[in-house]
Amino acid sequence: MNRFSRRDVLRFGGVGAAGVLLAACGKQAGVEESKNVKAVGVMPEAEGLPNVEVTDIVLLRTAASLEYNAIDTYEAALGLGVFTGAFAAAGEIAKRLRDDHRGHADAINGLITTLGGKPFTCGNPRVNEIYISPALALITDADNENPALDVVVLAHALENLAAQTYQGVVTLLSDKALRKAAMGIGQDEARHAAVLAQALNPGVAGVLPSIDEATGKPRVAAVPAAFGPLTPIPVTVGPVNADGTRSSLILETPSLNSLAYDNVTCA
Amino acid sequence: MTLPSTVTPPTKADRELLAFANSAEFAARDLYAAAAALPAFSDDEKTMLVGFHDHHRAAGQALAGMVGSLATNVRSDEVYNAFRGRVMGSDKNAVLDALRDLENTLASTHLSLVGALEGSEGAALVASILNIQARQSAALGLLVGRSLDDVLVNAAEPLAPGAGS
Repeated sequence: MNRFSRRDVLRFGGVGAAGVLLAACGKQAGVEESKNVKAVGVMPEAEGLPNVEVTDIVLLRTAASLEYNAIDTYEAALGLGVFTGAFAAAGEIAKRLRDDHRGHADAINGLITTLGGKPFTCGNPRVNEIYISPALALITDADNENPALDVVVLAHALENLAAQTYQGVVTLLSDKALRKAAMGIGQDEARHAAVLAQALNPGVAGVLPSIDEATGKPRVAAVPAAFGPLTPIPVTVGPVNADGTRSSLILETPSLNSLAYDNVTCA
Repeated sequence: MTLPSTVTPPTKADRELLAFANSAEFAARDLYAAAAALPAFSDDEKTMLVGFHDHHRAAGQALAGMVGSLATNVRSDEVYNAFRGRVMGSDKNAVLDALRDLENTLASTHLSLVGALEGSEGAALVASILNIQARQSAALGLLVGRSLDDVLVNAAEPLAPGAGS
């Protein structure tokens, strides 16, 4: 005959299970505690992100980084040796715009130094990673039929990006003198963009927005709107893919994940 | 993460500066209307001139919207008269060059305003107008055959705020 009733089995079983659970939750010898999660075993200490601040200096360092992106891109383009024949004039424009960007970078870094910040003397790493390197890889693809034209397309997009960036930081900069300095350069970038737009779509017909009737797509315009746009910039470059299309990139002005914070350095 | 302070509205002094810009933009609008009426220009050229006219009108209206009751919504005769004598006749390049000078003057004026406005909201609007007028100047410079240096460098003096408004 069984010595325990079914009720006894359930009662003692419940007490035993509770004991096991409490033992599991308790401290164990040799096990490091985590501040974040109570768990059995060794947990790495949680590492928080550095507390960064979007200051005038950070915004100017970001602007300087874009100037170096432009300088590097023009250098790379000139190094490709594609500015020959019909594109010889574009090569001269590229040299002039590169030199302008060098002057802009020096001017911006001078402001940063005056404000007590550290100058930024290389291209924005994220802009390089997600825009410029992929674009240059497409442009230099062996199957690309017109790398010279694509270089001008990319340069036009980068000048638009720079113009938009300077315009965009006006609302973020706290010092009105810095706003003026930024827009002094911003208007230069806008002029660069207009010159390259005319190289891509010359003459009076290329000044205002229009549609290419053959493709149904908008043509490049020197003056794209009544107000300076702050919109994403599409760039189509590289060889024709198997499906008859070409690769497109969408450029956007630097955001919180691509600003040149104080802790970002040139590797 | 610490973000910059939010957008700040125009102060009373800002609104007076923006009202000045409002009247300057309407002067430019009227100068482009005069240019577009000249028989020397082709249909394509007139389309561009009307487009620039519309841009200046839109800029003036946007500034008026920010200024409120201080906006005169009439052109600055001082600005208009300073350029009107060059916006006439049959020499297309001379007219386009005059309009390029106008764009450069307005761009310099707007740059000066960006450095004077306390509120970032007004500064942002003026910056967005400035970038377009720099482009318009560059486009006109290229059309009349100016050198790359002329196209890229703006040496125009800004208008004095308060003058002619």
